[in-house]
Amino acid sequence: MAVDNVSFSVAEGECYGLLGPNGAGKTTTISMVCGLLRADSGEVTIDGHPGGSLEAKAAVGYVPQDLALYPDLSAHENLHFFGQLYGLRGSALEARIEDTLALVGLSDRADDRIGTYSGGMKRRANIAAGLLHEPRLLVLDEPTVGVDTQSRHAILETVAGLGISVLYTTHYMEEATKLCQRIGIIDDGRLVAEGTPRHLIDEFGGADRVRLTFRQAETAVMELACGQLPGVQEVRPFEGGLELGTDHGAGVLPTLVQTAGQHGVELTGVEVLMPDLEGVFLTLTGKELRD
Amino acid sequence: MVITCIVAPLALSAILGFAFGNGGPSGTVTIGVTGASPALVRAAEQATQFPPDVAIRIVPDAVGVRGEVANGTLSGGVIVSRSHHMLSDLLVPIAAPGAQHSPGFAVIGRPDSIVARELAESLAAGLASRLYAGRVTPGSATDRAAITITTGDLGNGGQRVLNYFAPSIAVIFLFIGSGLGMRSLMLERSAGTLVRMAAAPIRPIRIVAGKLGAILITGLTSILVVWGVTSSIFGARWGPPAGVLLMAVGSTLAMCGLGVFLTSLARNEREAFGIALIVGLFLSLLGGNLLPPGSLPPFFQTLSLGTPNGWALVGFGRLSLLGDPAPSVIGPFLVLCLIAVATGGMALARVRRMVEP
Repeated sequence: MAVDNVSFSVAEGECYGLLGPNGAGKTTTISMVCGLLRADSGEVTIDGHPGGSLEAKAAVGYVPQDLALYPDLSAHENLHFFGQLYGLRGSALEARIEDTLALVGLSDRADDRIGTYSGGMKRRANIAAGLLHEPRLLVLDEPTVGVDTQSRHAILETVAGLGISVLYTTHYMEEATKLCQRIGIIDDGRLVAEGTPRHLIDEFGGADRVRLTFRQAETAVMELACGQLPGVQEVRPFEGGLELGTDHGAGVLPTLVQTAGQHGVELTGVEVLMPDLEGVFLTLTGKELRD
Repeated sequence: MVITCIVAPLALSAILGFAFGNGGPSGTVTIGVTGASPALVRAAEQATQFPPDVAIRIVPDAVGVRGEVANGTLSGGVIVSRSHHMLSDLLVPIAAPGAQHSPGFAVIGRPDSIVARELAESLAAGLASRLYAGRVTPGSATDRAAITITTGDLGNGGQRVLNYFAPSIAVIFLFIGSGLGMRSLMLERSAGTLVRMAAAPIRPIRIVAGKLGAILITGLTSILVVWGVTSSIFGARWGPPAGVLLMAVGSTLAMCGLGVFLTSLARNEREAFGIALIVGLFLSLLGGNLLPPGSLPPFFQTLSLGTPNGWALVGFGRLSLLGDPAPSVIGPFLVLCLIAVATGGMALARVRRMVEP
């Protein structure tokens, strides 16, 4: 079973992220949302219409993970063809093509064949095809996989500025944190947690971690001293030093430095790690997000 | 689309037309003769029955023939030796493999024109036959040959070949064309554009109908183009237009149905391409598109009726070769429709599965 008991809703104007590793069931889930797959049980409702109905499909803009355009046609020709599938015609279609290409920054390459575009430009053209008919819900399936940093940034900026409901799947936690008001964490076809990024991190992210590095000979002394400090909940060996678990990493730093000085230990590195979605995922599933 | 509909059928028609038709834009071939009287040449020309675009010209001497063939003024030449007119000298004028050259004749040709050389050899054979029949010396034959040869109208063999092969090849092209059409659908699936279409607010059956409709229209257009070009430019006779139209529609439905179904079994576009070509070749051999069923053993002739192209050829053959009226193809047409319903139904189910959730 690809997905099991997955239930979530996306509010008007909200960006909802489905975060999970490859093979977690993200694409299967959004395929059902877009009416491309039929669920064995359960239902999808989009803008009040049953998922897969023509009304629901008209309300959704689908941006598949891989480029889904004709490489031998120009961006304008591609959008013209796909726009007609959504009932757009004549001057209204031309106006939408112009606006959409401007939105994704491809106006000056509108008449060039898609096959001549860079990877990032192809992705942006792919998004344009999903936005052409002004959908109520835009479904983006890992739109930044395999694109360069600059194009990735441009795509994220575009999506962030849309102001429509967005269902965004990714396995990049930074993207989910930056874009999404709410996130559903999916693993092995199950939605294991859902909430705002802050809520998820607070709930499942665990403690702050402080990593200290120093000469190996002083590990025993520092382990004992740090374990007695107030606010430090856990001390464990770390490659080249110690990793401390604490509720407030930045708050204990002065005390740690002072303690090291008192014991004649020269610190060679200090790093404070805040809990993040990677940690949330690790806590909830026992594995790394990029597994 | 343009290639399958227009370019390939045009190329097909042109190849068939130039190979077997009578309307090709070839120039006049002039064969020079020396050493024979004008009367003998005329008699030989009549005996040989050259096509109208072959001209025979008497040249004063052998040097002139060789020179004009060398510089291209003549396409070929025949030099009749006045010193060799014994029967044994005249009987073998044609340079067949292993044959001795006749000392009575020299046939001059150009390496770049095999046709002209063969025409010159035919003329030499014609001259030999007149000399042999009249027992005359090369310079003394009269208009009246010693014996009269009566020939029947043998017809234009090439034309009959064209009448058979034009619809024959067009039919098999339908199968290959539909297979390639199906391959394009698979390419759309792998390229993701089919998924994007499936996500649009249109019923899946419209996508399927659009795709299959395009394959059918492409197929029908291609056979109509071959019909139009081979009959209007190259003089092929397909038979009564109503019957041809009926057979074109029936053949398109059956061949495209089978083509789409078989290629839809492929796992990817490369397999589809392979199936289209291999099965197309197999059907061509079995159905009689490459070898007329009449030239095959009876078992194979029966077997050819197990293929849609075999039935298509039955219908087209009745119209073009037998000169039957249009209603004579209703039977083959109905058989083709049955094949179309069976294979097309399965093809439709396969294609729907590609598009529907």
